[in-house]
Amino acid sequence: MASNAWRKTLLPAGTLIGLLLLWQACCMAFDIARYTLPAPWDIARRMAEDGPRLLDQTWSTLRLALKGIGLGIALGIGSAIVFHLIPGVRSALSPIIIITQNIPLIALGPLLIIWFGFGLLPKLILLALVCYFPIAWSMLAGLGQAEPHLREYLAMIGASRLEVLRRLELPASLPYLFSGLKITATYSITSAIVAEWLGASEGIGHYLVLKSKGYDTTSVFAAIVCIVTLSLAFYGLAVLLERLAIRWRPGRPAAAEGGKAS
Amino acid sequence: MNDSVAPGKLVLAGIRKRYVREGRLYPVLDGISLTVGEGEFVTLLGPSGSGKSTLFRLIGGVERPDEGRISIGGKETTGRRGQISYMPQQASLFPWLSVAANISSALVTAGIERRRAAALAEEWLERIGLGDVAGAYPHVLSGGMQQRVSFLRALLMPRGVMCLDEPFAALDALTRAEMQTWLLRLWEEERRSVLFVTHSIEEALTLSDRIYVLSPAPARVLREIEVPFARPRRADVWTEPDFVELKQEVLGLLARRGAAHGV
Repeated sequence: MASNAWRKTLLPAGTLIGLLLLWQACCMAFDIARYTLPAPWDIARRMAEDGPRLLDQTWSTLRLALKGIGLGIALGIGSAIVFHLIPGVRSALSPIIIITQNIPLIALGPLLIIWFGFGLLPKLILLALVCYFPIAWSMLAGLGQAEPHLREYLAMIGASRLEVLRRLELPASLPYLFSGLKITATYSITSAIVAEWLGASEGIGHYLVLKSKGYDTTSVFAAIVCIVTLSLAFYGLAVLLERLAIRWRPGRPAAAEGGKAS
Repeated sequence: MNDSVAPGKLVLAGIRKRYVREGRLYPVLDGISLTVGEGEFVTLLGPSGSGKSTLFRLIGGVERPDEGRISIGGKETTGRRGQISYMPQQASLFPWLSVAANISSALVTAGIERRRAAALAEEWLERIGLGDVAGAYPHVLSGGMQQRVSFLRALLMPRGVMCLDEPFAALDALTRAEMQTWLLRLWEEERRSVLFVTHSIEEALTLSDRIYVLSPAPARVLREIEVPFARPRRADVWTEPDFVELKQEVLGLLARRGAAHGV
């Protein structure tokens, strides 16, 4: 047990701290200019100085990402259920959906701004498009994965289609839904940054553009730290929700996760 | 006779079923006729692959026979679902529901009001000595305990006929014997109409009132055997000379058919 805890937490944490120290040492030893590569200590100081503003901007990005991911989840779950119940709809719509997924955000973003202006709407559309796909497709896969012998049991006792969905397919799809959600959680932050970068008056993406145009590399790094923290927090939240929702297989979610990661 | 309107009476008349696979016809059931009387324990005994599970799917209304009719309680139910309760070979408990919820949700499907279903599940789990695990997830139970829950779930559904499809096949020999005794005791208290499938001759002779011996596919009824042992039946009924004699008879029947089919 002790060696396990060491491997799981202390080792990666140690590596991270070691890297930061090495970075700091290099910056000091080779006297690297701050606009090329700021040292970790400089970044930390800048974050403390600019704290209230960074927090403000991060909060604004967080709200945007939450709205986008919420919309993506709702659409994703809804359409997965519709596609599952009516296979014809799935065949008809999936080419369109796959095409939308392959348009680069860089191209789509400006178009959405031309069509819908600089307000919240184009950003929400962009985010929802990004968040939708992993949710809908993993949920759809999960809905078809229910154990055949449970399906047979429900058929034999004469359960209705709706009961099969509610009692078997939806619970069985939850692990798949959550693996989609974990992907979406990190995507949503990156896309929120892209959306803000394309046209916004607030948010950490906007801050990032401002500072990089002014060659304020230290502040750019400060923004990166905020973005990474936000992404990790979203991922952590998804993992937490998964643990809360799927409690019927102690020990097994970890194994399933390992399988998916590889 | 008033017997034909008994709610638990199952009648199969001339059931035929063929499957088409790769352009060839495979007859599975070749004119099966049988009855299960009200409160009777009837067993289908046959070699593996004699179409017993297909027969169950027909009775459950999941598939339709090519020929023949099925009725339960005097009403035609050919191709109609939701007329039977069912205990499959695998316990088939839902892993995300507690033991009690597994039972009560099946009862809700069968039309029992939600609160009453929960109360029934609670009460009966207590009665069969599983009250302690009512709130637990099924995976903490042993294979035998899972089958007890699965049997209880079938027993409590308010339907005329219980269909049990090789429910003990996956259990080890000791657990299996224990489960047979348990089922015998519970069934003799409740006396529901049961159609039971097995390929164990001893199991059939220990539990049933009547046995239909089936041939390998395409399945026909080779013989109908009245089991002469009294109820309530002793668990050590296998020690009686008649038991051994009947067992030999059935073995001979199956062996002869096997030879005739060139198996």
